[in-house]
Amino acid sequence: MTATATPPAKAKGGLFGPDEIKAIKAPLWDNNPIALQILGICSALAVTTRLDKALVMGLGVTFVTALANLIISSIRNFIPNKIRIIVQLVVVSGVVIVFDQILKAYMFDLSKQLSVFVGLIITNCIVMGRLEAYAMGNKPWRSFLDGIGNGLGYMWILAIVGAVREVFGSGKLLGAQVIPASLYEAGYVNNGLMVLAPGAFILLGIIVWVQRSISGYSEK
Amino acid sequence: MNTSSNGYVLGFAVTVCVIMSAALAVTANSLKETQQAAAEFDRQKNVMMAAGLVGDGDTRTRPELEKLYQERIREVVVDTKTGQVLGDKAPKDVAGMNKIAAQEEKKLAAAEKRAVDKASENRYRSVAIGKADDGKTTFILPISGKGLWSTIYGYLALGEDAATVRGVTFYKHGETPGLGGECENPQWCAKWQGKSILTEAGALYGIEVKKGNVDPSVAVEKRHKVDGLSGATITSNGITKFVKDDLKAFGSYLASVRK
Repeated sequence: MTATATPPAKAKGGLFGPDEIKAIKAPLWDNNPIALQILGICSALAVTTRLDKALVMGLGVTFVTALANLIISSIRNFIPNKIRIIVQLVVVSGVVIVFDQILKAYMFDLSKQLSVFVGLIITNCIVMGRLEAYAMGNKPWRSFLDGIGNGLGYMWILAIVGAVREVFGSGKLLGAQVIPASLYEAGYVNNGLMVLAPGAFILLGIIVWVQRSISGYSEK
Repeated sequence: MNTSSNGYVLGFAVTVCVIMSAALAVTANSLKETQQAAAEFDRQKNVMMAAGLVGDGDTRTRPELEKLYQERIREVVVDTKTGQVLGDKAPKDVAGMNKIAAQEEKKLAAAEKRAVDKASENRYRSVAIGKADDGKTTFILPISGKGLWSTIYGYLALGEDAATVRGVTFYKHGETPGLGGECENPQWCAKWQGKSILTEAGALYGIEVKKGNVDPSVAVEKRHKVDGLSGATITSNGITKFVKDDLKAFGSYLASVRK
């Protein structure tokens, strides 16, 4: 195998065998962290007033879950069982701080607006959930893909909520006006509910409902 | 290896912590310069926002804004004790000058057996003088002071008469997001425009962040007060207080430019 910098995957099917594809695809739809596991809701409500914030937050979670999964999975056989949660937390916090520092250096405005929520990725249930449920029992490369899959699964839902809230809450998309001024003159007003957390809650509920009725998931 | 023995657990914990902290130290150090540059640019942008040169959600790029800053804004150092502009000093000297001033004041106070004048710790301050889009001069004063949790930093831009507020921004603080943190909300800051820091008689009043909403039918409220930040009484009171204190400190300078 002429793999580049990626860790060697000894499983059948090479780097992108069926298991690897499953690791990255399942969280996108069949096992979506938000729609099916209802994890990470707090940040999904807080950072989705604008699409760019939602996207950066999604990127952050993807970065953190992927890297933390990779690191924890590589050392999973050495982690003493007694202190595994705290070791996971140390790694997660470290990766989150790195992401926060990068944001502060290259996207100062956004990092100011996201304020505490970047730091709060540490407490995002998706991150710890994946570490406990996946990285502790799987090989590094597959865990890395699982992290990416979960991050992206979180991101696309955030992006939809963010886009809808930005368009209907402030008439803009990525900061550019999309609802024409003529419509405002005709008496259209921005929906104030969309700017507030309850608007996100309702939207999220609708997305979960739609996603579940398409994927045929039921609680039982 | 027995991974559940106490020695192993302890050793593992220490190793993980040391590696993580080393990794964080390296990241923080290597990004430090870029972060400082970003923070300095943010400060410059806020000076321009207070002066009304840059609006909320401005789409101009960073080089364009940096050029605008170079063209329109001039920063000078002011001795707040005398109100004089020190032409030979640059804003970066201010911290050092204040340190010396504070030490001298301490010695002097001890010799004269009186209390130390705290104002000397912040005797020298930099003021930005800008040219607004309408061609008028604006004086942009740095303001800072305690809110509820943190020191709030901002800029207050006064018009040509050095009495009417042109704009205000608060750019660095650690107040509760959504409550006190709303002080950086551009919509709220816009309410400061047109208020006067002086009474009709010319005495210093400052700008008061009122608890509740301003009643425009009351002359004094219309002239000096802005709506309070709901859920952030202590932040609001803090802003009222430090804006007045800072304006008092700049009093002699402002009086000199009014002539």
